[in-house]
Amino acid sequence: MIETLFSLSLIVLLIAATISLLGTKTSYSKIARRISLVLATTASIFMLAFAAEILLTDGNYSVLAYQITPTFQFSFMVDRLAAFFLSIISIVSVAVSIYSIPYVEHEEHEDRKNLIVGLMCFFILSMLLVIASFSMFSFLFFWEIMALSSFLLVMTDFEKKETQKAGIFYFVMTHLSTLFLFFAFLFIYLQTGTFDIAAIRADPLVTSIAFGFLFLGFGIKAGIIPFHKWLPYAHPASPSNISALMSGVMIKVAIYGLVRFLFLLPLQTWWGILILAMGTLSAVLGVIYAIKEHDIKRLLAYHSIENIGIILIGVGLYVIFTVEGFQSIGMLALLGGLFHTLNHAIFKSLLFMTSGSIVNATGTRNIEEMGGLIKRMPKTAMLFLIGAVSISALPPFNGFISELMIFQTFFQSSVLSNSFLELLLLLALAVFALTSALAAACFVKAFGVTFLALPRSHEAKAAKESPKLMIIGSAILAGLCVVLGIFSSQIFGLLGFSIAVPNMLFIGVILAGFYGLIFLAMREIANRNERVTETWGCGYPMQNSKMEYTASGFSEPIVTILKGIFRTQKTSERSFHDDKKSVFKEGKAEIHLLKFFEERLYLPVANAVKKIAEKVNSMQRGDVDLHVAYGFVMIVILLLIIWWFA
Amino acid sequence: MNIALLLAYGIINTLFVLLVSPLFISLIKKVKAYAQGRRGPSLLQTYRNLAKLLKKETVYSQNSSWIMRATPIINLAALLVASLFVPLIYLPEPTDLVGNIILFLYLLALAKFFMALAGLDAGSSFGGMGSSREMAISALIEPIIMLVFASLAFAYKTVSIPDMFRGALANNVFDPVAVLVAVSLFIVIVVESSRVPVDNPETHLELTMIHEAMILEQSGKNLAMMELSSAMKQLLLMGVLLNILVPWGLTTDFSPVSLAVALAVFLLKAVILAVVIGLFESCAAKSRFFRLPGLFAIALFLAVVTLIIEVFA
Repeated sequence: MIETLFSLSLIVLLIAATISLLGTKTSYSKIARRISLVLATTASIFMLAFAAEILLTDGNYSVLAYQITPTFQFSFMVDRLAAFFLSIISIVSVAVSIYSIPYVEHEEHEDRKNLIVGLMCFFILSMLLVIASFSMFSFLFFWEIMALSSFLLVMTDFEKKETQKAGIFYFVMTHLSTLFLFFAFLFIYLQTGTFDIAAIRADPLVTSIAFGFLFLGFGIKAGIIPFHKWLPYAHPASPSNISALMSGVMIKVAIYGLVRFLFLLPLQTWWGILILAMGTLSAVLGVIYAIKEHDIKRLLAYHSIENIGIILIGVGLYVIFTVEGFQSIGMLALLGGLFHTLNHAIFKSLLFMTSGSIVNATGTRNIEEMGGLIKRMPKTAMLFLIGAVSISALPPFNGFISELMIFQTFFQSSVLSNSFLELLLLLALAVFALTSALAAACFVKAFGVTFLALPRSHEAKAAKESPKLMIIGSAILAGLCVVLGIFSSQIFGLLGFSIAVPNMLFIGVILAGFYGLIFLAMREIANRNERVTETWGCGYPMQNSKMEYTASGFSEPIVTILKGIFRTQKTSERSFHDDKKSVFKEGKAEIHLLKFFEERLYLPVANAVKKIAEKVNSMQRGDVDLHVAYGFVMIVILLLIIWWFA
Repeated sequence: MNIALLLAYGIINTLFVLLVSPLFISLIKKVKAYAQGRRGPSLLQTYRNLAKLLKKETVYSQNSSWIMRATPIINLAALLVASLFVPLIYLPEPTDLVGNIILFLYLLALAKFFMALAGLDAGSSFGGMGSSREMAISALIEPIIMLVFASLAFAYKTVSIPDMFRGALANNVFDPVAVLVAVSLFIVIVVESSRVPVDNPETHLELTMIHEAMILEQSGKNLAMMELSSAMKQLLLMGVLLNILVPWGLTTDFSPVSLAVALAVFLLKAVILAVVIGLFESCAAKSRFFRLPGLFAIALFLAVVTLIIEVFA
């Protein structure tokens, strides 16, 4: 019974994709894409039911679907871990599919609307199948379909220069990721002689090499620093429903892969240290870059890097504590990391969806041109606020609980016998704390500048609330932010984990109770008179939006304090009329922000590749005789090699 | 676990924080006034201010939204919940309902988040400036707070504040680690309650103000709630420092006599700390905003030293 839900869900998704694609350029195109989105929602609900059943019963479901040869087979197995990630994908997919019904209508080109919907169904399908894959062959196969379908979705507005750059970046990076996974799987295959994920057992050096490749492959896809550059390009370029899926879900598939292999491989401490170090670096640099970003979607993309970092901190701590022999503390860290994976999927998709609504309403992604939207789009504002509070890890919302679990793991590091490891963990703790506080600062900026005070442009002034289904889609996720926060300890109990997290139901109830109490008390004891008037502007009349604090102004103190990290270079030249330098003539001032990773890492590598390519190019003159000669030389060399070894 | 006793603890502790916290605001002002050769306001002045603010009408900016209206209540509610986490006079039996140190910190962060949003809500440059500076400072102080709390968690092997106090109470001598922690916590109090050299609670001059700028648009009952919640926050942080460094006086016995004694002892301890804060403020000069990371570095250094001692001891 329960198994049929799995297959049914996949089949319905496939039908949904086909309907939408077949409907392109016909007179039924609109109805086709609507049907297919409704079908996608249904399929996701089926998948959610299936995953929930396995999560709750700790069941196991495996099926061999199709086999090319015994080595290359598509086989699927869903255990608790896979079911957890399947439920993440299906929850977000439900919300995104509902949201997309009105959202895709905003696309300028009529024929691309169905394409977006169809590819989106394929994208969701491929992510589900990656998670369910049991053999490395099918994992890699669907991983590649996932990469290609998302690449095509990023390229929706392919005419734009910005999109082309994003597309190339994403295409290259995602294939580097696949390449490293390919290396890892081939390596494991050569060692074990099978593509069966469960078969990996080998000596420390061999598993370490395999781990190295796997971490690189999954790390690039997850967007850890320094392999993060594709995220801030690809997310703003793609439609917001796709950004929600990519940032909320797709990068989590990489986390799944990492955790899955960590379960299979015999762990080593240095892996944990590496994961922790990269996680901490990604977390803090991600949020620091987000602070100075004023493109709302790029800001969110940098926060995805930050949150992937936080998840990896949890995973790294799990490895360290487990190897050192403290399984229960390690479990707390891992559950914290995994819970944060779920939470981030929910609030980040929520934030991308609501920011998509804002971008549609105002026609810009620059928050400096927004403002005052809380009055024009009150529901969207409320939903965005819930997302912002959750991502800032404030109680009683969901993001808080997962960060609390990771903090509590850190606080128990005194059990470790290795003092230097302990100090390393404390260093990571300090950086993690900084990350968390900077995230709150960043979202005060994002929410405050976007929604509060006066509108900063005519477009923002004329903004209208989004269609109902866009609100409903986002509201599902916002509701989950609250539910997963408030009922966190009950949920852990239901799943059979005894985790010492504070009972947020209690905290939530007394918080709300005090709120009500204060509200009533103030009505009784305080003066009830109210007056609405101008903001005090030091006596100047007619306050306008030019006098408001801007996003750049808001982040200025942090940017100045951390200028060493931003590598901001301020240069100024001045000339004067007289030689005493008292009468100013003219001047020029520049602020240059160094794109550190792009200028120092990506471009040098890209240029080196280009140079090699040019060398190779000079050998290929298109001359048939020459190419035949190459072929001949090659065969001779191969024969020589065979003769030598035989 | 005795529910009634726990409830009684909750009511007593919350009411105590709510009612006594404004006293220390005036006391610090008084100490500073004496240091400057003035007589200063009466100790009841903060209460009078609050009462007066409650009687005034509330003025809202036409630009502002419901954030402005909800923030004062959210602030006060978060601080009321937080005051359940720091036992000041009566130490209840161990419970996992309240006391988690991280939750305590993040309740304060919740209040601050909304306060900063309200600063931006009216569209005035003052509010924006205050919010921006406050968030920058709170981001920088956060690693220090976490390290200090981590060293407490290391020392007492718990993440619960009441259990830490219980551990401190079980030590009959001055814990050297507690002294080092106390110095870092002192700097945290100065920063978090917006005092010189970080901020100046006394002026409304845009060069110096941070916290005051952020709540500039608040008025009437809303301002009263904001003022009260910052007073409560100050008392709670003072309570953490005092009951770690000199926990003696905290009672575990729920009887009128021992409660009265504990109350008197806590007031004495808190008065001494408030005098120290006042004198510290009088000796320090307001620091330039971008010099503050230097002050934080001192606190960070102390926190790290504490931790190194704990790790290698």
